[in-house]
Amino acid sequence: MLGYAARRSVVALGLVWVVATLVFLVIHLIPGDPAELLLSQGGFAPDPAAVAELRERLGLDRPLPEQYLAYLGDLARGDLGRSLLDEHPVAEEIALRLPRTLELILAAALLAVAVGLPLGTLAALRAGGIGDRVLSVLAGVAMSVPVFVIGTLAVLVFAQKLRWVSAGGFTPFDRDPLGHLALLAMPAATIAVGLAAVVFRMTRSSILEVLGRDYVRTAVAKGVAPLRIVVHHVVRNALIPVVTVLALHLGTLLGGTVLVEYVFNWPGLSGYLVNAVEARDYPEVMGIVLVISVLFVLLNLAVDLLYALLDPRVRHA
Amino acid sequence: MSFVTSRRAFVAGAAALPFLRMPGARAATPGVLTFGLSSFPPSIEPFANTGTAAATIKVMIYRGLLSYGKDGLLRGDLAESWGPEGQTAWVFKLRDATFHNGEKLTSADVKWTIEQIAAEKSTAFFRKEMQGVAAVETPDDRTVRLVMKEPNVTVPRLMASYHLPIISKASAGGEAIGAGPFKVKSTERGVSMELEAFDKYFRPGLPKLKGIRAIAYKDENLRVAALQAGDVDLIEYVPWQSMEAISKDPALTLDTTDGPFMYLVFNGAKKPFDDARVRKAVAHAINRDDIVKAAFFGRGSGLAHLPIAEGSEFFNAEYKDAWSYDPALSKKLLTEAGLGGGFSCSLLSTAQYGMHKDTAEVVQQHLMAVGINAQLNLPDWATRVALGNKGQYDLAVMGTAADSNDPDGLSNFIDGTLSPSYVRSHGVKVDRIIELLQAGRVEFDEAKRKAIYKELEKVAVDEVPIAGLAWRSQGYAMKKGVTGFKNLPGALTFYSGLTFEETSIG
Repeated sequence: MLGYAARRSVVALGLVWVVATLVFLVIHLIPGDPAELLLSQGGFAPDPAAVAELRERLGLDRPLPEQYLAYLGDLARGDLGRSLLDEHPVAEEIALRLPRTLELILAAALLAVAVGLPLGTLAALRAGGIGDRVLSVLAGVAMSVPVFVIGTLAVLVFAQKLRWVSAGGFTPFDRDPLGHLALLAMPAATIAVGLAAVVFRMTRSSILEVLGRDYVRTAVAKGVAPLRIVVHHVVRNALIPVVTVLALHLGTLLGGTVLVEYVFNWPGLSGYLVNAVEARDYPEVMGIVLVISVLFVLLNLAVDLLYALLDPRVRHA
Repeated sequence: MSFVTSRRAFVAGAAALPFLRMPGARAATPGVLTFGLSSFPPSIEPFANTGTAAATIKVMIYRGLLSYGKDGLLRGDLAESWGPEGQTAWVFKLRDATFHNGEKLTSADVKWTIEQIAAEKSTAFFRKEMQGVAAVETPDDRTVRLVMKEPNVTVPRLMASYHLPIISKASAGGEAIGAGPFKVKSTERGVSMELEAFDKYFRPGLPKLKGIRAIAYKDENLRVAALQAGDVDLIEYVPWQSMEAISKDPALTLDTTDGPFMYLVFNGAKKPFDDARVRKAVAHAINRDDIVKAAFFGRGSGLAHLPIAEGSEFFNAEYKDAWSYDPALSKKLLTEAGLGGGFSCSLLSTAQYGMHKDTAEVVQQHLMAVGINAQLNLPDWATRVALGNKGQYDLAVMGTAADSNDPDGLSNFIDGTLSPSYVRSHGVKVDRIIELLQAGRVEFDEAKRKAIYKELEKVAVDEVPIAGLAWRSQGYAMKKGVTGFKNLPGALTFYSGLTFEETSIG
């Protein structure tokens, strides 16, 4: 097992290096000079001497291989560099913003499970009924409507028309817990709509499959109470594929909450990445993409190791 | 197994929904105004140009020798009076003002500031201009004598720029210390900035507000929603599509001015736009009303001449429609240039900003009507800037505002001797325009100066160094209870943050 874990870890490290190199190359090869952009704000032409001075100060005038080696050296020391815009440490900003995005995703996941799981179970237990058909259609709609449409509608109805909640924004939890949760509610609910539909559909199909299994029929024949059968024998066994799909979606959301963060002014990691790309802030782009990639690689590594732990055939393969 | 909800409980729950609003998220502090910014300032470095949102914050924290009043006229800020002395010197008499660190403003601070901007390693926006200063003399603590290397009538306007504030010399090596009406209390990077009133501000009784909370709303629709929902008291960059709804809302006030403008730049380093007749043909081919309607929802006006505002004393009425929509003339000019059969070219703009993209699409259609097949190139803004700076385009759509209402601000767009830049045409150098710009810069007599810029516009009408397209309305919107805030006229719209010192909230 240890040998297997070591092999997988080496592969994971190699993947991180590949990602770091690709990100470095891509961001440096696309057009757009951060020094020029930084000094060209407001539609004014910067003094070329000032641009040259800034390029030198930021180290952008050095040959690309030299910049690459410096970047790898910094990475090896755990240094993600500083923003080209205001020299703010990238790692510090990621540490601030990553929890906000994770919080958004987790809140959305909780909402999605709270809604999708019971409704999926009910729909499966009443498969073919009116309720099942209505819920299935609604789930289809929820999965098809883009988040920015749901988000914009939510702002229009709940903030602009009804004035129940703020239109968007962010307040740190430690400063104003209630305000923080109020501002979290709409973006989390917006992400949760599509996610709940996924959970609903997976739960429904998975439960339908489990309901036909022999051990369920045996339990019914033995006279076990219906609620007990559903909770202990059906839902429990049907949850494995649901959790797998949910986990996959959550991983995708790590870098995919851009639109929701934009629509609700939620200062998370995705919005930070978009701003960094627009400004060609190389250290920020490379730092954010790298952190997201490392999280993915670590998740995969954890899953691989878990599989190996559960199934000895995997580690001997 | 059944899940039963009592009907009464359901109805009660539904009825309670409207009371679930979370007042904590929008709780207002008396005397503190919440301001919806269009973006979070990348930095508030005093001498850098980091965009208009940053400039709005900068004028709250820092102040220069001069600034602008609500009427758009120059006024003394840290200087109580100023004037020329001979052809090259300017004398500024300083007020009794205090910096945020409690130290008094002296002429030494002014000298130190100018030296920082002009320094060899400086990346300040006005480095080149301040390198034109031969000497900063400080005969006493309250007098600054600025000796320029060459006569320059625009020095007062330079000194009024938000990129040229006066900073305490105690700032060396640390944070910039200004003398503005507000101080930075805290910053939530990328989210918001809290400013508090500076109790030793040099204008007695000001600022009226206790503080300002500036929150960045990058999405323009969310910015409007935040105002309508009551989350913020005032917003900048009101999107054109929302202006009508806001102006009809009895709880809100809309304050707009036509200041920024859209225009076309040409690559004159190669054919066919090296020929002034072809550039003029393009200028006459475009129906500007269509741009105002399509890109700005009717909130703006056509611009068929150089961007000199109608309210400016330098406005020349006879050139108002110099590049009027005239497809027949456009075709005639193309025929004269040997391009009667039409031609193809690239039209650079950006998909990142709707107004640039929409303007380009309208331009493309009108060019097609006179036989010019313009292929749109719509990369992101950073790429568009890079391509523009390198001259990798034939035609390009651009939008900006001048740095003041003074016609010398046109230099940024039509002075062909300046370095290549995405804001001006590439390789279009008209000697007479350059001579006239230089003449206008050193002419102290107002009447003669007007004549110079009139001739300049006459030359520009024929040579078409850029082609004006449309003035666009720039708007602020606020709750009715907000008083004292004013959108400054024309190109000065981005200086409107100066009026926060007189703003109050009821």
